[in-house]
Amino acid sequence: MDWNCTLTEERLSDYLEGSLLPGEAAAFSAHASGCVQCTQLVAQVKMLVSRMQQAPPVEEPRHLAGRILDATLGPREREHSGSGMFAWLPSIWQPRFAMGLVTVAASILIIFHASATAGGKTALNPVNMFRAANRQVHLAYAHGAKFVNGLRVVYEIQSRLTSQPETMSEPISEPARAPNAEPRPGQPAQPPASEQRQKSQSIPHSGRRHTHGASELAALSIISREDLTNGAIRSIL
Amino acid sequence: MRRHTRRVYNLCYRFTGNAASSEDLSQEVFLRIYRTLPSYRPEQGAFPTWLTSVTRNLLVDHYRRTRRDRLTDSIEDAMPQLEEKHSPARTPDRLAQASELSAQLQRGLARLSPELREAVILRDLQGLDYAEVQKVLQVPEGTVKSRINRGRIELARVLEEMGLRPA
Repeated sequence: MDWNCTLTEERLSDYLEGSLLPGEAAAFSAHASGCVQCTQLVAQVKMLVSRMQQAPPVEEPRHLAGRILDATLGPREREHSGSGMFAWLPSIWQPRFAMGLVTVAASILIIFHASATAGGKTALNPVNMFRAANRQVHLAYAHGAKFVNGLRVVYEIQSRLTSQPETMSEPISEPARAPNAEPRPGQPAQPPASEQRQKSQSIPHSGRRHTHGASELAALSIISREDLTNGAIRSIL
Repeated sequence: MRRHTRRVYNLCYRFTGNAASSEDLSQEVFLRIYRTLPSYRPEQGAFPTWLTSVTRNLLVDHYRRTRRDRLTDSIEDAMPQLEEKHSPARTPDRLAQASELSAQLQRGLARLSPELREAVILRDLQGLDYAEVQKVLQVPEGTVKSRINRGRIELARVLEEMGLRPA
């Protein structure tokens, strides 16, 4: 095949991309290897194509995508409207953060109000705040201690009153037994408990008297217990 | 979104050589895409090819609109290096990002005719195959191949004349 410089130029891209027929490719190579100009041109274009295809893309401006979205979809709520140190500001207005901030602010306000009711401007002094808080803690401790002591007194009284009727019923039953207490001559000094129980059943008057005295004492003890308990609670409160 | 934005911006920047114009043109491209999206038919071609076609058409319009400005402002064509250095949109950061090869290519591309320039850009810088370039340019395959081939050779010679070798 008769190959020349014009053909080399015309088919240069085909040669570089390997789309020449085998005969054409051989004729191209034969001519290019013998022609200085064509050799140089082939080398230059080959290098140029290679470098262009490997060239990195140009970085587009960062704001371009946002600008395009603004132009197509309309102005948006910018996620990063602020720049630098103020970029976090919009996130505060999200409901969860706003609710948290309001709660914290209310708590701080209550604490300030509670600690600074009597103080005026000086109450905002950290030292005074510390003293007020310290005083509140001590007062709370004193109230607690007083309450515990009061409870202890009440339980002590209650426990004594619950145990008292049993101990009091025994001396009260003694006079009822007194007429029969003295042993008659010829009788044993202390009959067995079973006999006494039988006697008490056979003598109804003495048993009724004993029951009457015990119920009175029990009523008195209930009244006194209630009074004492109420008094103790009142003293605590 | 970012991939498409970069693709469009690169095509515009390689064709116009101006960052500010490329931004405006990119925005215009997406506005047109947004308005004509219902008319897009996937069976007619892939979305990137359609996007490139819209971009190319806008670039042709832009080239025609600004032809008179370019003819009167001959210094811009004669000394493209000055345009690179004094364009307000070309901040030092952007210049630092652009590699030396990219700058050389840009200067060389600016010397090509629009037909050859767009063919080379689409094939070698945007990576389209011949069929895609043919769809975008709406010209026969033989014309596409011819333009790409002539564009490459002319660009190599221009770079040689400018004393810039791609190697």
